[in-house]
Amino acid sequence: MEDAELAAAVARGDTGAEAELYRRLAPRVRLYGLRHLRDRHAAADLVQHVMMTTLERLRAGGVREPGKIASFVLGMSRMTVLEMRRGAARRADLLEKWVPAAAGMTDEEAAPEVETRVMEEARLAECLQKLAERERSVLVLSFYGDKSADEAGRELALAPGNVRVIRHRALEKMRGCMGLA
Amino acid sequence: MRPFAELVEYWFGEREDEALEEHLFGCAECTARLEELAALGAGIRSAFRRGALHAVLPRAFVERLEREGLKLRQYRVAAGESVNCTITGEDDFVVSRLQAPLGGVARLDLVLQASDGEAHTLHDVPFDPAAGEVLVIPSPERLRARGPFTERARLVSVGAGGARDLGEYTFVHKPS
Repeated sequence: MEDAELAAAVARGDTGAEAELYRRLAPRVRLYGLRHLRDRHAAADLVQHVMMTTLERLRAGGVREPGKIASFVLGMSRMTVLEMRRGAARRADLLEKWVPAAAGMTDEEAAPEVETRVMEEARLAECLQKLAERERSVLVLSFYGDKSADEAGRELALAPGNVRVIRHRALEKMRGCMGLA
Repeated sequence: MRPFAELVEYWFGEREDEALEEHLFGCAECTARLEELAALGAGIRSAFRRGALHAVLPRAFVERLEREGLKLRQYRVAAGESVNCTITGEDDFVVSRLQAPLGGVARLDLVLQASDGEAHTLHDVPFDPAAGEVLVIPSPERLRARGPFTERARLVSVGAGGARDLGEYTFVHKPS
């Protein structure tokens, strides 16, 4: 079923469609949150707020174009991230306002675990150790240090384009080694 | 589906592209690839933090670890010097700071030879020519698992004219 059909089913009160829509869209909101907030707890807050608001609006017929539900959720995510950036206190207010008001849902229904892929630790470390030194350094700087190619380049005395090439090659090797490619 | 390289650049904030973001939100395959990237990133952070990796990293990164409140045991060693070293239960990382004149060096290899039989050549290690030092972070997990050993580290400049030793450094390691 397309997202749009699911959204229309939610508007008709189909609870099975709600669960499916959540399953599809919550990971996208979570990724958006991780990308823009760089904090998994903040990303989880974002998922709760955006998905609860979306489902409430759909149920109440408050989404003008259910056919564009993905755009609606993206817009809501953008707005919420802007609000969350205005401060932790404001974020707490939002959660207080929206999470308990999840229209009669139990806590578990209101915030089901968004599936997170967990990499096998030992294998991942082994794959990382097989990389060339520069590749491992760039990945550690990128993911642990949270550095863009420009920033990593400045620290390593490399051109940003060079960092992108090394990063890309390293990620492809990791995907291959982890059996993801 | 968008190319993986584009997704990676988006992830690191190198692309602020609303149309791309709109596409990602509607693309299940792109979502799956981004989830994979996020999981890899989380795995890399976790592997480094728990001490499973060795790495050669820039000074700014080591300073950041200190600012995070991590306990670093650091050994600054000049070429030709020897140092007694260890890692304790309280240490998060050990940092070997190998001092060397790096101006004009195009490529740098690090040759490691330990008395317990471990030997590696780390080819083309990253370095900042202006820094005057190479910062090596051995895997704390691995260090803790080893008994006493003496390791000789040799920095080798590799260029069109061949290889040239920049310095040798000796680490006499004893478990604490």
